[in-house]
Amino acid sequence: MLKKKQLDNIQGWFFIAPPVVVFTIFIFIPMFVALFISLQKWNLLSPMRFVGLANYSKMFSSGHFWNSVMVSLLYVAGTVPVTVVLGLIIAILLNQGIRGVSFYRIMIYLPVITSMAAAAIVFQYLFEPNIGLFNHILSLFGLPPMQWLNDRHQALLAVIIVGIWKRVGYNAIILLAGLQAIPRYYYEAATIDGASRFQMVRKITIPLLSSVTFFVTVMQIIASFKVFTSIVIMTEGGPARGTDVLPYFLYKNAFQYHKMGYASAAAIFLFIIIFIFTVLQFKFGEKKVHYQ
Amino acid sequence: MSKVKRKIGTTPPGLRIVIEGVLLFFVLLVNVPFFWMISTSFKLGPEILAYPPRMFPSKLNFDGYKYIWTLVPFARYFLNTLFVSFSISVSKIILASFAAYAFAKIPFKGKNTIFFIFLGTMMIPMEVIIIPNYITLNLIGWLDTYWALIIPFVVGAFSIFLLRQFFMQIPQDLDDAAVIDGCGRTRYLLTIVYPLSKPALLTVGLYAFLASWNSFLWPLIVTNSDNMRVIQIALKALQDSWMIDWTSLTAASTIATVPIIVLFFFVQKQFLEGIAITGLKG
Repeated sequence: MLKKKQLDNIQGWFFIAPPVVVFTIFIFIPMFVALFISLQKWNLLSPMRFVGLANYSKMFSSGHFWNSVMVSLLYVAGTVPVTVVLGLIIAILLNQGIRGVSFYRIMIYLPVITSMAAAAIVFQYLFEPNIGLFNHILSLFGLPPMQWLNDRHQALLAVIIVGIWKRVGYNAIILLAGLQAIPRYYYEAATIDGASRFQMVRKITIPLLSSVTFFVTVMQIIASFKVFTSIVIMTEGGPARGTDVLPYFLYKNAFQYHKMGYASAAAIFLFIIIFIFTVLQFKFGEKKVHYQ
Repeated sequence: MSKVKRKIGTTPPGLRIVIEGVLLFFVLLVNVPFFWMISTSFKLGPEILAYPPRMFPSKLNFDGYKYIWTLVPFARYFLNTLFVSFSISVSKIILASFAAYAFAKIPFKGKNTIFFIFLGTMMIPMEVIIIPNYITLNLIGWLDTYWALIIPFVVGAFSIFLLRQFFMQIPQDLDDAAVIDGCGRTRYLLTIVYPLSKPALLTVGLYAFLASWNSFLWPLIVTNSDNMRVIQIALKALQDSWMIDWTSLTAASTIATVPIIVLFFFVQKQFLEGIAITGLKG
């Protein structure tokens, strides 16, 4: 007869065995393998050759790589602040005791659950310079047509717009939950003290929501660094590498040029960026909501 | 005095109408792509090229849907996606619930360390380990199979975490009683814990289904034959070959999107609450 303690150990490990196996094979070992391959020259066919840090030094002296870093940073800078601020505004508006909140919540969330590939195709059509809806709308305001996906800078703007569209709803929903967790009596006290609506937003809502705002900001930064699908469908990194974000740079080098070592070095670089933000999240986002 | 008289915490009707107007405008704005997608999918060729663009098709024209259903095996892509997403959801519910139960209720050696390590897997983005995983699947000969699409995702740290939170709320007495009664833990989990945790299990399954249905990068890399193609990759392939046949492309996009939207409408309450809770709890 097994003792209860032994039985617990056996059963506990038995229950967690499947994830242990899956994570080991598909997450833990690959992390080390990625690091290992980044030190090799390898095209999948010929044998690997150890090259030390050559992939990294090649990468850091490559104009294309720094272009991708720049494009990714611009993409993050273009999407994150707008999604957070817009999300916050919508959340605050939703929290004003209006009717039909659940209707708005659903409708605002639709882009988040939508397939990015499908959305990107539709946006590509909307951005079409000659027959697209967006240029038509511009013309209604007497504005000249834009080149959108045919122009290096405007293409980046276009994918940024798609990114904002896709993710603003996520922020709004989470920030709304944060707002609803703020005790009512703060506002009641402020009302009695004669605070204006705007003052309450500025002095109560925004400070008390800072930790949730921090959380969504970091989530958006991480998600924006990983943008991929919209790029593949809408621009393929172009024109003239104007939208060649890091994940696409990585993908192209690995699966089109078969430079596995070089691509792995880029993967490690991407990992470090994302890891920094994740650690920030874990460190400072620990207690996300604290009012009292 | 007048300020004190203002009813505390409510919005005056005038302002409320303004706010509702702003929100309605925003809702319309974010839904333009959906409207445009569905409207375009029913348009005829000349209407697509018309400028200024027409809001609605002159009549419902099903050519786009007919093309994707007959010229390419779109039904196959659809069923592939359904099969893969469904398998992943079911296995995630089962495997994650066992692990979550162990973390919530069984005092076994190394529990906290392992749980911490599991949480750590959420910090590793798929983009970073995609090359090694591609190589692994190549070595075991799984490239371009259902295994490649399913097995790496049969269980996930996020699902385990979510279910553990839920299981911890179930009173420990219930667990102890069951064990003393000689009711094995597996049976206890299946007959007592499962019925109590239906909402949580459903949430895990839904997240998994949605993530799998919409996933793009992974199937793009590990599959290439027509037989194994999932709907998202089919969209990319159609776009490569048909380029500007916007009727068919938007018809395909509609089919890729609508099932998820319909599903979402049915379960949105649960779903959005889940997002809010997990979002706040990390």
